[in-house]
Order: sequence, then C-alpha cells, then structure tokens
Amino acid sequence: MNYKTSRIIKRILLNIPLAIGAIIMLAPLVWMLSTAISPNSFLPRQTLMPDWQNLTLQNFVDAWNFPSATTEGLTMGRFFLNTVIMTVCIVIGGLLFDSMAGYVIARKEFPGRTFFGFLALSTLMVPFYVTAIPQYLIVKDLGWMNTFQALIVPSLASGMGIHLFRSHFRSVPIELEECAKLDGASDFRIFFSVMIPISKPIIGTMTTLKAMWSWNQFLWPLIVINDKTMYTIQQGLTFFQGLAVTQYGYLCAGMTLAILPLLVVFLCMQNFFIGGLTAGAVKG
Amino acid sequence: MIVASKRERFGYYLFLLPAFIIFGTFIFGPMIYSFYLSFCKYSLVTATSAKWIGLDNYLNLFKNMQFLAAVKNTAIFTVILVPLTLFGGLMVAIGINSKLIKYKRFYKICYYIPYVSSMVAVSYVFKILFSGRPDGVMNALLQSIGLEPIGWLASADWDLIVVILLSFWKQVGYVMIIYLGGLLAIPDDVYEAVSLDPISGTTMLRKITLPLLKPTTMFLLVTEVINSFQIFTPVHVMTSGGPGMATLTLVTLLYEKGFKNSEMGQASAIAVIIFVVLLILSIIQNKVDSKE
Repeated sequence: MNYKTSRIIKRILLNIPLAIGAIIMLAPLVWMLSTAISPNSFLPRQTLMPDWQNLTLQNFVDAWNFPSATTEGLTMGRFFLNTVIMTVCIVIGGLLFDSMAGYVIARKEFPGRTFFGFLALSTLMVPFYVTAIPQYLIVKDLGWMNTFQALIVPSLASGMGIHLFRSHFRSVPIELEECAKLDGASDFRIFFSVMIPISKPIIGTMTTLKAMWSWNQFLWPLIVINDKTMYTIQQGLTFFQGLAVTQYGYLCAGMTLAILPLLVVFLCMQNFFIGGLTAGAVKG
Repeated sequence: MIVASKRERFGYYLFLLPAFIIFGTFIFGPMIYSFYLSFCKYSLVTATSAKWIGLDNYLNLFKNMQFLAAVKNTAIFTVILVPLTLFGGLMVAIGINSKLIKYKRFYKICYYIPYVSSMVAVSYVFKILFSGRPDGVMNALLQSIGLEPIGWLASADWDLIVVILLSFWKQVGYVMIIYLGGLLAIPDDVYEAVSLDPISGTTMLRKITLPLLKPTTMFLLVTEVINSFQIFTPVHVMTSGGPGMATLTLVTLLYEKGFKNSEMGQASAIAVIIFVVLLILSIIQNKVDSKE
C-alpha cells in the first residue's frame, strides 16, 4: 500500500466516528424541527424526516398565538417579546457596566483597585443557586415581583465580563490615553470615544455570552415571575405540558422558537463565541 | 500611570459604582444573608420574620431521607457524567484537530449546537423521545432493531440515565471547544520532534498530548463538577425528581423546599452546603495549580 491510499483510508476511518457523532448530536434537534414543520399531530413523529408532501408553517403561527384561547394577550408571541426585551437590556446594560468597571480597574491608580478586581473575580466562585433565596426575598421587598427590573437588574454586571474587559484594556497602549488627555478630554470622554471603539472583539464576545446566559435563564424567571403575561419563552414552554393532550406540532414549534434566535446569533458571531468560551478557560 | 487628582479619583469610583452596587445587592449581600438564614426558621407562609434556631436546619437535613437521596443522586450523576464528558469531548477535539479532517468548522458547529440550545426546550425533546410508553420514539427504535422497550423516564432505574445522557449531549460540545483551544496551544514542533521516532498514536497521546493538556483538564474537571452539582432544569422539566426520589438532586430539593414549601431556612442550609463543597473544590484546584 502506498502513502496516498493509506492516507485516504486513515481519513475515512477518522471521519466515520466523527460523522456518526455529529448525526447523534443533531438528531434530537432535527426531529424537533421536522415535527414543527409537519402537520400537527397528537402522536410523536417516529421518524427524523418531516412530512415532505405536507410541509407547513402553520404550527409556528399557532404556537405564536398559542394559549390565547384561555386569556387575552397570553401567547407564545408575548413570551417571545418579553424574552427579547429582557435579553437586549441585559446585553446592552451589562456591556456598559462591565466595561466601565473593567476599564478603571485595568488603567487607573486609586485606593482599593486590587481589592475591587479581586471582588469582581470572586463573584465567579458564587453559583447562582446559592444566593437564589435571598435574591428572591430582596426582589420581593423591593416590590419588583413580576417586573422586567427583576429579570434584568441582577444580571447587569458579571465578574466574567469585568475580568475580560480588564484584560483587554490592559493591553491598550498608554499613549492613546495620554494623547486624548493632552487634548483636554475628560475620563468619561476618553472612555466612550477612545476606549470603547477599539474594543469591538471583546464586545462581540461578551454580547454572545450574555445573550446566551440571559435568553436561556430558567430558574430565576420561574422564581420572580408568576404573572403569566410576564413569562419568558422558557417558562412559556411549560404551558404546553399542562395540557391534557400534547399537540406535538405546537410544542415543537414553540421549542424551535425558544432555540432558534440564539442559534442565529451564534452562527453569525461564531468566532466571537468560541473566543469567549476559550477566554474563560485561560487564567488571567 | 497618570497621576490622578482627587476629583478624577472620585470619577473612577463612579465608573465602578453600577457594577458593584449590583454585586453588593445580588451577590455579596445575599451570600451573607444566606448564611444567616440557614440558622433560622423562616417560613414565608406562617412567619413574618426569621427566628434563630441554631444548627437545627443542618441537623434535620442529615436526618432527612429526601436530602440524603438528593446527595446520593447528585454524587452519582457527577461521578458518571464528568469523566464521560471529559473523555468524549477530548476524543472529538483530537479527531477534529487532526490534519486529516477537512470540514473542521462544520464538525465544530454540529457538536456545540446543543450547548447553545435552551436547556428547557431540549429537556422537553428528550422527555418525548425517551417516553416510557411502549410507543415512545426511542422504544419504537429499540423494537425495530429487535430489542425490548425500556421504561426510560417512567422507571426508577433508567431516569437518572436519561438525565445523564441529556447532560452529556448538551455539555460535550463545550468540553470539545475548550480542549481544541488547549490542543491549538501545543506548538507544532513538539509533534515534529516526536515524529522522528517511530511511536504509535496511542503512545503519543498518552506520553505527550495528555500531559501537555493537563491544565486544560484540571480547569474542565472543576467547571464540570461545579456544573453537575447544580443540575436542575432537566430534572425539573423531565421528572420533577421522580419517580419516587430517583432523580431528586440538591438544587431540585432546594427549589422544592424554598419556593414550593417556602421553608427558607432549610433551603438556605442546602445552599450553604452546596457552596462549601464547591468552595473546597476550587481551593483544591488552586493548590494543584500553584504547585505546578
């Protein structure tokens, strides 16, 4: 056997397990999508493929308007919009707060600087579940139950974000700041018109991470939202379970709505996303 | 560094203020409050304020069947899932990293799409696929290749396995990405130097690749243990801890106690126990890291 054929055989041997694995990884989601675009049914689909002759988007329309029969304005569409509002606010607000804190910790000299850096990092050691109960009591005392504030405010700052922004700003040459300072720019001005514009990669990374955290959060909305018109889409999915008979077409369309937006964001910003995950793994 | 005036310094604190108000209100404050509550009896239904009862919450927990079951299930879950995910993720990463593989980007996407997908939605998908009914999707598949149907989520022997399968499927892509990062950091000349000697692929893996990946493995080990300890969503969606107590986990129990029965004290004691265990793990990791 010559070198070339042995290489081809090796290539095939390596591709087969990887391809089988990839099919297993995608199968549950393909099944979900196939069910969603086939006519609604009271039985789960027994095949991965959709009903090619009767492809339909009707399930999405019905899922979007879904439990509306019972209460006015109580639809998956509403839950979807609630989740979009929550996610957009968390991403924008969170980026602002994280970058501001990361900036001064990285670049400025003041009493308590190392301490604040340490505090920000130490928040990474506290899992959400450990503080869930007091957080709930605080939100209740603030009168924030069933509001967007309750969903958004606790997620507006993240130790990971501050940490990544800090490492990024550290690598910016000091001359940039000094030039702006000589021109008479204030710290606020320097931050917003010099530092932020050169931070696009890190902003991209943090956008994907924050979007993922906030879109997919489940336990926290479950605790602070019990008014159904304020449900997030993840909570909204539990609606389908409460029904006497599961309508698989609706359910799968609903689940697709809960997965797809994030998937689109992540496919568009793939490199930022991978960069973010890997950055978290590197000790700074 | 530019020397700062008093007024400028005041400005710096303003930059820190929003983030640290949030940390104070929603992380550090609640942590201290959690410790305090864990020594109190505080039922939101019957009492308006917390009453100090010392160690009773902890003592009661260790006599509580549900808590012991939750500890056992969480431990089994973690001990099976973590090595499995690390091994699976490493294998996929090594495969994709090979020079013989062409469509690296395509494979990467396939493997970590589950990681980005909503846990609630995929839990429902698995709940339908692994339904215990004989006409469930997986059971139909088993029967079509001549096997007996399995009780899956309806059976106390299988439901923890379904939760593990789902978690593996969801998490393996993340592990792969991190290992790929680690593999890329190994310089090419290490392999070139070795390739002069005739050694097999497995020896190369054992003697060269694995030792070089050790920091990555340590990081993943700790993060994955921390994640597994906090398993909640799939259990809540698929089984609610049942049948019986077969899939009751620590965080599911915390949720039940705190938010269903509103026993804030008991639930806080569980939270503190989870925190202490995870803290000890992190400290061990730091010790190992700094030794090297």
